[in-house]
Amino acid sequence: MSSNTILVFCEKPTLFQELLSEARRHAASIGWTVAAVGLGKDVSALVELGADVVYQGDVDDRNPEMVTSALLAAAAQAQPSVFLVGATKLGMEVAPRLAERLGTGYAAWVVGFEVDPGLETTTAKCMLYTGTGVATYRFKPGAAILTVAPGVFEASPDPGKTANVVVLDVSAAPPKMTVLEYKPKPASGARLEEARLVVDVGQGVKVREDLQMIQALADLLDGQLGCSRPIASDRDWFPEWLGLSGAKIKPELCLTVGVSGAIQHIVGIRDSRLIAAVNTDEGAAIFSQADYGVVADLYEFLPALMDRIKARGIRPAWMP
Amino acid sequence: MKILALMKYSLDVAEIKVDQTTKELRMSGVPEKIGNIDKNVVEAAVRLKDETGSSLQGLTLGPQAARESFKDVLAMGLDEVYLVDDPFAGASDARIAVHILEAAIRKLGPFDLILCGFASDDGYTYQVAPRLAERLDLPLVSYARRISLSDGQLQADRDLEDSLQTVAVSLPALVSIAEEAFPPRRTTLMDALKAKKKPVNIWQVEADLGLSQADLEQLSGFESSSQIGVIVHRKQIMFKAGTPVELADQMIDALLQENVVKGAA
Repeated sequence: MSSNTILVFCEKPTLFQELLSEARRHAASIGWTVAAVGLGKDVSALVELGADVVYQGDVDDRNPEMVTSALLAAAAQAQPSVFLVGATKLGMEVAPRLAERLGTGYAAWVVGFEVDPGLETTTAKCMLYTGTGVATYRFKPGAAILTVAPGVFEASPDPGKTANVVVLDVSAAPPKMTVLEYKPKPASGARLEEARLVVDVGQGVKVREDLQMIQALADLLDGQLGCSRPIASDRDWFPEWLGLSGAKIKPELCLTVGVSGAIQHIVGIRDSRLIAAVNTDEGAAIFSQADYGVVADLYEFLPALMDRIKARGIRPAWMP
Repeated sequence: MKILALMKYSLDVAEIKVDQTTKELRMSGVPEKIGNIDKNVVEAAVRLKDETGSSLQGLTLGPQAARESFKDVLAMGLDEVYLVDDPFAGASDARIAVHILEAAIRKLGPFDLILCGFASDDGYTYQVAPRLAERLDLPLVSYARRISLSDGQLQADRDLEDSLQTVAVSLPALVSIAEEAFPPRRTTLMDALKAKKKPVNIWQVEADLGLSQADLEQLSGFESSSQIGVIVHRKQIMFKAGTPVELADQMIDALLQENVVKGAA
């Protein structure tokens, strides 16, 4: 049944490119085909990115039911052995739906995979217990659906290949869920993923006004502010957060202030070259994840730190 | 109306330690409890129960030891809890867990509304809600933050990465709750006393749900699986003695040595 194809879907362009690049690396080594699914009326942006085929499903990508129908139509045409899906909130909903509909094996939070074309099996390594461990799953022969988070695979340069576009016939029943309103959240100006220094704000920071002091520290060190999820989702101080369900950063230094160190948050900062932490609680989990830990009240420590940075003429290593 | 809240008795993943030589995950002694996300599910369900005068049952698949942790959720307002004794001790493909939950829901139901977490605290793979929606052929509102009911219609806000999406579905429906969307209420001594009289029912997969363990095993998508721990390579150097200025200087010295900053040593 298998047509030796790796099929790729993600509605976010950056993650899509990462998945497509990884699919191409595998396909090139075993002589397979790479196909991608594009949704909507215009898929021209996907055609030059390195897929052999782009399946176009003209459906609304805001409704997971419609997306599932389009992906089912694409899978019926491509008969993929591996189906890579971006681990976005949409992807994490449609991938298990596909697994149920197709009766196919599915693994979430994949960090690497191997295909054995002879045995028609896939083996995937997955993040386990939100990053405490890694699980290795050997799938039964047949297709495998894998979801992959941003930043796991590296995007490679565009190979200058033009894909054939195949328009899918998505004959879906009307969706059970109706979208009434769609309100975009404010986009954050900062590009945390590219920051060289991030000051990471946790729940130990008491009131919003304190951010001025922390911003001043970040400015001294050419850094940007990030935060843990409750600071963004409950207190609404920032549009996005760092963590498993948020942004993942890899700066030279991540300085956490008042962060307790829940594993779901650590996932977002653990690729930092260095982690330094300030917390009043010597037993805080963050200290076991940090290179340097300061047990202190951040309201006493941060002003002192800024004074000493100024007094000693300290500046980031990358500044002139 | 009949409402069902799905819950998971979850591992406290922060307490899972890794053996530094063998990389084994040390799972024994890791505390388990009804997950934080699941308590938000119960809170959402109790609010809807109170608004509509519905019945509200709780269902979980887990070990019999989970029984103790039901006191809290019963005190919050569940009428009763059904525990399906997990023959696979949590170690199976989510597909199998969902088959078992589906059978239990069909036996207990039909329900007008089923609520669950968007993910479990421990596994965190987001699979139960979408798989269950497919198996029960129900509309799914995922990542819900605000829920309102009127005239057999449910409206909710879906909390997505870059947007809030307001959606509507007809009942019966399945809703998965977003993180911290419904902070659980505090319960009183009176609630706790009432909870003691509420039933906890334990079902066995074969005897009560008519499922064969061998057939269930066949549903797994995997031939084999294994797991190892991730070793954290951090220096863990602590500065805790001194005035704020002394601590600041120690931190600056460390960052100078690491070549993150430059300036006067």
